[in-house]
Amino acid sequence: MRLSADVCVVGAGAGGAVVAAELAEGGADVVLLDRGPRHNPDDLTARPPEMLARLYRDGGQTVTLGSPPVGLPLGSGLGGTTLVNSGTCFRTPPAVLARWAREHGLELDGGVLDPCFERVERALSVGPVTPELAGRNAEVARRGAAALGWSHGYIARNARGCVGSGVCAYGCPASAKQHVGITYVPRAEAAGARVLTGAAVERIAVAGGRARGVEGLRTGRRRVALAIDAPLVVVAAGTVETPLLLARSGLGAASGQLGRNLSLHPATAAFARMDEVVDMARGVPQSLYVDEFAADGIMLEGIAGPPAHAALALPLTGAAHAEAMADYRRLAQFGLMVSDSSRGSVRSVAGRPLVRYDLCDADLARFRTGLARLRELFETAGARAVHLPLPAGVEPRRARRRDLKLMAFHPLGTARADASAERGVVDGDLAVHGVDGVHVADGSVVPSSLGVNPQITIMALATRLALGLLAT
Amino acid sequence: MRADPFESWLAAGPAPARWGMRALVALATRPRGAALLRRLGPVGQLSGSVVALRRYDRPEVARRLGFDAAAVVARGRALRRAEGRP
Repeated sequence: MRLSADVCVVGAGAGGAVVAAELAEGGADVVLLDRGPRHNPDDLTARPPEMLARLYRDGGQTVTLGSPPVGLPLGSGLGGTTLVNSGTCFRTPPAVLARWAREHGLELDGGVLDPCFERVERALSVGPVTPELAGRNAEVARRGAAALGWSHGYIARNARGCVGSGVCAYGCPASAKQHVGITYVPRAEAAGARVLTGAAVERIAVAGGRARGVEGLRTGRRRVALAIDAPLVVVAAGTVETPLLLARSGLGAASGQLGRNLSLHPATAAFARMDEVVDMARGVPQSLYVDEFAADGIMLEGIAGPPAHAALALPLTGAAHAEAMADYRRLAQFGLMVSDSSRGSVRSVAGRPLVRYDLCDADLARFRTGLARLRELFETAGARAVHLPLPAGVEPRRARRRDLKLMAFHPLGTARADASAERGVVDGDLAVHGVDGVHVADGSVVPSSLGVNPQITIMALATRLALGLLAT
Repeated sequence: MRADPFESWLAAGPAPARWGMRALVALATRPRGAALLRRLGPVGQLSGSVVALRRYDRPEVARRLGFDAAAVVARGRALRRAEGRP
């Protein structure tokens, strides 16, 4: 199969779908490729194992190599991880933009991104969760935070007509979450973009220092060679895959930063046994944040789910686990996310990505503090018992790396932006240093941890890239 | 016939994890194996969590705990049809 286009976008997640829609609506002939499938909302079942298998890369079983090993769930298919995230929307914190200006020469502070934030938020119907929709799980944490005088608030989300199905991470059966698979991708198609699923891009074709298109395979009933001829390629395959695609194409490696500087939001969660009925899966799972300790790199955010979700995460074993699960309706859960100082890397081993990440001392200290704060939050809210994700008898202040039970979200930075070709893979306009016609529009360009969920940052950067390309 | 959801999840994992997970589940569902795993700390906890994922995903178990996945899906589907959502 061979196609020609003005632009080939690789990846239909938070960055790629936005670029494709904006460019197509601006008059460009766009081909949008994604390795995963197009998901049919009628196939969503609200059952965690089945949805993990269908909506996540590797069934959500991607694990980093390092100390401690960290689960790294990533979405798969049109929509990418926006399909399975909690729908949480934060703009890039001004302090982070100022830091990028200082450390990476990126001129994105001082309101430069505001029009892009507004454009994305309009497209996704971003608005705050109401207390009623937040549910009783959020109310437990809100009560604790209020009593302690900790700063907190209801989260803004990209949802429209949400009824609190409680399964955001397993695909919204009401199509209330405005993920890019049902917003930007249809917009791109309506504007004439051709969307190909099952398209695995092997390399970016370059001749004479300029992009000529991409080559790969289209899977399906039979595998066929795929070639897209295009003078402009936008890589948006995600923080794990993008550096590997650039490396396979012999691009972006001059600075020595390709595949390095991986930043994550390592996270964990605690449970509380309450006297009241909580029914954590009724309402928006991530509807409340506590940002009292955000300046220290510690963000507390809601998390909840069906019994299978809780059973997987509940840090108990044997009879204690069974007893707590029998009381599921009175279980509350809340999460802790660390804005990391640790840095990891991504490389290819036997054709598969290997993610290396070791938690540094500063981040271990953040988890010790954060876990103690989570316990305080729940106890103040009236918990009968608090179950921290630590081995029995281990106090937060004495927790070691191997004691932590971590997941991580929001991988960023493996093709980081920097104005200098010696320090970054892409420049401030997200063009790959050293080649013409290749841009990157996903989390890999984000040069540091944000401390907040990154989808709006990625989409705003993608919007700025697309509008910039249309203007040239 | 619809595949068992838990089996689908196990099968979706990358090869080394898939083999390891299957071995752990096989051990954890046998009394002597479970006793052995309990002595292995984090590995034991992982196997217990995975077995629990299967147990509490069963519709009859989840319904007893107040969560009816079929009802959640039916409500979502009705909303999509009634309001013309994607």
